[in-house]
Formats: sequence, structure tokens, C-alpha cells
Amino acid sequence: MRLLIIEDEPGIAGFLKDGLEEEYFAVDVAYDGKSGLDLALTNEYDLLIVDWMIPAISGIEVCRQIRKAGSLVPILFLTAKDTLEDVVFGLDAGANDYIKKPFEFEELLARIRVQLRNRNRADDSLSAGGVTINPVTHQVFAGSIELTLTPKEFALLEYLIRNKDRVCTRSRIIEHVWDIHFDSDTSVIDVYITFLRRKLEAACCGNLIQTIRGVGYIVREPGMA
Amino acid sequence: MKQFALKGLSVMSLRNRIALYYTIATGFLIAIVFTTIFFMVEKIVYKQFDDQIKKEISEILADSNISPDNFQGFDSFRDIDADHTSEKGDNRDEEHKHKRRKLKVDTEFIQLVNRDGEVINKSASLSWCVLAFNPNQSGTSYFDSNFGGSMVRQAQVPLNSADGKNEGYLIVAVPLKNALIVLHDLKDIFLFSFPVILLPLFLLTRSIAIKSISPIEKVIATAEKMSQSNLDQRIPLPFHHDELYRLASTINALFGRMQDAFQREKHFTADASHELKTPLAVVKGTLEVLIRKPREREHYESRIQFCLKELNRMAHLIEQLLMLARYESNKMTPRIVVVPLDPLLDSVVERMMPTAQAKGIAITLNHTEQVKIAADPGMLEMIVENILSNAIKYSSSSSSITIEVARSENNVVCTISDQGIGIPAEKLHAIFDRFYRVDESRSSSTGGLGLGLSIVKKLADLQQIRVSVNSVTDKGTTFTLTCPAAESRYPMEMSC
Repeated sequence: MRLLIIEDEPGIAGFLKDGLEEEYFAVDVAYDGKSGLDLALTNEYDLLIVDWMIPAISGIEVCRQIRKAGSLVPILFLTAKDTLEDVVFGLDAGANDYIKKPFEFEELLARIRVQLRNRNRADDSLSAGGVTINPVTHQVFAGSIELTLTPKEFALLEYLIRNKDRVCTRSRIIEHVWDIHFDSDTSVIDVYITFLRRKLEAACCGNLIQTIRGVGYIVREPGMA
Repeated sequence: MKQFALKGLSVMSLRNRIALYYTIATGFLIAIVFTTIFFMVEKIVYKQFDDQIKKEISEILADSNISPDNFQGFDSFRDIDADHTSEKGDNRDEEHKHKRRKLKVDTEFIQLVNRDGEVINKSASLSWCVLAFNPNQSGTSYFDSNFGGSMVRQAQVPLNSADGKNEGYLIVAVPLKNALIVLHDLKDIFLFSFPVILLPLFLLTRSIAIKSISPIEKVIATAEKMSQSNLDQRIPLPFHHDELYRLASTINALFGRMQDAFQREKHFTADASHELKTPLAVVKGTLEVLIRKPREREHYESRIQFCLKELNRMAHLIEQLLMLARYESNKMTPRIVVVPLDPLLDSVVERMMPTAQAKGIAITLNHTEQVKIAADPGMLEMIVENILSNAIKYSSSSSSITIEVARSENNVVCTISDQGIGIPAEKLHAIFDRFYRVDESRSSSTGGLGLGLSIVKKLADLQQIRVSVNSVTDKGTTFTLTCPAAESRYPMEMSC
């Protein structure tokens, strides 16, 4: 999952990036509204974390512009403004959620998961073809066997399962699993897919990830052809 | 009772009070006018009667050739019932005929009495009645009297013999009946029309009052609707530029100032909360992320160092806030003494030099002469330091900052000019507000909190130092401190 943080306070942006990366998110940071808006409109993010008071363009305006461009990406507002009017104003500008500073990091993670959660699913765990992954605990089970994955492997598998029954192109995989500083050499995907297949093979789910030649990869629910 | 009445007046609405006062005043005037008219009419009527009687008397006397001062006896009177007027002049004259007829209608009564009041002779019109006689009258007198159940106006002329002895009286009277009816009717009309005029007047005045004070109702309605959340309400200005217009515009101006104050307060709270919560959020978040997983020693150290830096920033902020609060509650009073300005400036510049040099900024200090000012040296140092640190913060590298000192009458003017980014003209007015920052995102990269200049202003105010600022965007900013010269405050000390 790839996130964009638009926050001018380096201290906050810093620990957010550190903490979220440890949670297997690919994280980009913009330090002002203008570059943040550019990034948000040119790249595909799974979630935005936006501070209200940022230089160049305010967080509210960034939010409005993104909505105006037709994007439905979840936006989390992160700000020291704490009056009721501010909260209402922020949410009305198009934000999906609002967190007041100072906040608990665990709460932020929970709220991010809520935004990423598929609408019609009650809990956070995802599954496909007998493989279940839990983004909260970072556990992966193939049947009853728990697999041990590296953060990147986990992020890749999570992305594929979240988009099961849909072809994930190489460029989209890069966009969602790796951050912006990554050199767009897509051969790295093949390396990680090989690692994943090897680990799934050991748990007898080797053919979960299928290759669509020249396009990308897909995870199919068995029996759906 | 009086208190009740006062209370009644105090709860009475303005329109009723205006109408009441107006009606009372007008009623008073009308009463005076009516009374005057009544008495004047009465006087005119009586004068006419008196004139008529007088004329009658002189005619009777002339007819009988009698002089009241040389009375020969009652026999000298000719028939007192004769038409005296007709005796005189040409009775065939048309005018006289007319007059005669008219006089016959105006019945008159004539009576002669001797000095003891016995009736000697009387006109036939009197029939069996007798006119009142007042024996104490010496000269000719006019008075009202009751005669046979109706009022008459009568005159009593003493008739004296040649030696001055009173022989009797000639009494002539005319009936007052018609005149009294007219006067009585007049009085009735006045008494009746008085309330009839006053009641519509009250209602009319009240409706005029309601109309004239209707803008006040609008003021009340607007003020009632006003609350902290909709301070942008304004009273619609009346059409006429009168007192109510002034009232409305004055109240509107007051609302404007209130709105400003509320806005400033809101800004202050929002800014203070941002400034205090941001470092708190940084420290809290950093430490939370830090303890989620075991890490390298270096990692721990660098994060803790970072948190300490943030905490220092916060401590500095809290210190400044507390200082401002103390100054604002006037718990700190300046200790004003004679301060030689140059050494003070030198020491501040020396302290700031490392920061300036790190950015490649040159500070020049131009002092033309040795000046001494009346100020609190500690506070003055803080003022200069704050302005200078701002100048360094907002100047680009390899620019220069100039400090100049000059005398001007009783003051010493110290200017601190930089060649920095400047302040937009529309934001100049707010720079002394607590937490105000030209950069609305309140970026921490410049390190400012927006408290420095409000401290400067507060400290300057305490010492009667005037602070003014001039700025051109991208050209630089000049702060001017106008301090009272020591001689103006301490002439004695300076001469020692």
C-alpha cells in the first residue's frame, strides 16, 4: 500500500514515514501543498495523510483539488486545529477522516486500516485461494501453516490479494508497493514474485499467483476460472 | 405613590413616553390659549355692555339737561321711558330708524333712587322689579347683579347737588342673558374640545414616535441576533443621516471592533494550540514509533536527541508565553534607569554575531554620538535582540543589517534595517499580535513562533518606547525605536 504524507513539519513527517514504512507501507512525503498536490494527482496512492496548515496551498485546498480531479482516494486530515467547526469544515472539504494532533500512532494505523478496508468486509483480514493475510498482525497463513515473509514480500502479496481477480500490471505494482524514490526497474517484481511463489509452494499454494505474460500478475480465487 | 409613578414611567415604552410628554406640553399650551381667549372675549363683551350703559347714561343726563355734579332734584328728569336716542337729531333719517328699532330690542332698565336707596322713579321695562342698589358706591361703578332671576350689567351714577351733597343715584342696567349664554357656550366648547384635541394628539404623536424610533427596533433585533458565531451581522443604516443613523453606524463600528477582537482571540487560540501541539505531537509520535520495535543504539540516540531538541523548542515557547502573560498582567514593572545606548547595542550585536556570521550576514552599527536613554536595560536588550534575530532569520545570506542611532529633540531614534524578505503591507498591522506569522503555514523551518514581536511591543509599551515598522516586500524591513532621551526624564541626574 502506498501512502502520501503532505506535512511541512519535518519532525512529524519523519516519524510518520519511519513508522508507516515499518508497517510495510510505501511512503512518499511532500513538505508543501503544491508539490503534495502534484504528487497526489500524478501518482496513484492508496491513501493521503494531509496536514491543514502547510505552505503554498493549504491542506483544505489540496483536498478540494483532489476531489475536483475526480479522485476518491481516502484522505486523512492531520491537524492541530481542534474545534468542532474545524473538524466539520475539514470533513466537508472532502476528507474521509480527521485526526487531531497530538495523536496516538496506533490510532492513526487503525484509522488508516479503516480507510483501506474493503467496504463490505467487517474485519481486516484478506484471503484468496486458501491464503489468508492479516494486515493488522502482519501474519500470513497458507491453510493452517504460517508463512514468514519479508516486508516487501508481504506488501506485494497484500496488494495482489487486495486486487484479486484483477490483473495487476507491473507498473501499478511498482506504484503501490514501492515508494517514489524507487528506480522504475520492474524486474525487481519478478524477483519478489519468485520468492513469494517459493514460500507458497512450500505450503502447497504454489499456483496462487499467475503470470499474465507481458502484462503483470493476477491472484485468482480457485473455481473462478 | 411617587415610586409607583416613577416605576410606571420607567417601564413605559419610549414611544408612549414621547407621546405622553408631548401631549402634556401641548395640553398645557392649549389650556393657556383657551383661558386667554375666554377671558379676552369676556372682557370685550363686558366692555361693550359698559360702553352701552355709559352712552345711555350720558343720553339720559343730556336729555334732562342734568349734570351729575349739579343735581337739581329728581323732578328735572323727563320721562325716563322715552327713547333718548330718537330725541336727538333727525328721526326721519333712515339710519336712525334702524337704530331705533334695534335699541327697542335691547331692553334697558333705568331706575332713580334717593340717597337712602328708595326708588324715586323707574322705567316701565322694570315692571314691578327693582334694580339692586349699592349704597357704599361713591363714584360711577359697573357691576353684575341678579335681577329677577337673570343677570344684568348695571351702572350706578351718583347724583350730587352743586355743593357736592349726594342726592341720589341714577341706575342703568342692561340684560346679560344672551352674552352669558355665548360665554357659557364658549366655555363648554373649550372644555369639551380640550380632551377631544388631546386624545387624537396623543395617538398621532405616538404613531409618529413609533415611526421615528423604528430604526431602534432594528438595532435591538440585530443585537439580539448577534452571537459569537455570527458577528458579521450589521444594522441596516436608516435613510436619513440623523442621530439614529449615527447611532446605527456607531453600533456597527462597535460590532466591527468586537468582531476583530473575537477574530484575534480565535486566531490566538488556534495559533497557540498549533505551536504547542506540534512539538508535542512530534515528540509523542517519534517516541511511540521508536518503542514499537527493538532498534540499534544509534537509532535510539538520534531519535532521543531529536526529541530533546523539540522539547527545548517547546520549553522556549512556554517561557515566552509565560513572560508575555506576566507582562500583560503588569506583574513586572520596568526598572527605568539611565542607559548608555551604545554599549548595550554593542553587547547585543556581539551576542548575535555568530548566528549572523553563520548565515553570512554583516551587522553594521552606526552611532553618531554617545547617547543615553531612560529605559530598563534588561528589557531594552530583549527588544533589540528580538528585532535583530528576526532580521537575521528573514535575511538572505550575504546581505547586511544596519543599526543607526540618532538624536531627535527629546528622543533617541534607533533604527534596525535589514535587506530581507520584507513584510507585505497588508500584513504589517498584525505583526505585533501574539503568534501572528506572516507565513500562514507557520512553518517551523524558520524557527519563529510569532511571539518575538509581541514581546517587543509589550516591553516597549512598558517603557514608553515607540516601535514603528516600515517594510517593502523583497527589499527589507526597518524597525524604528523612539526612546525617551535620559535628559528629558532625568535632568537632575544628567547634570551631576
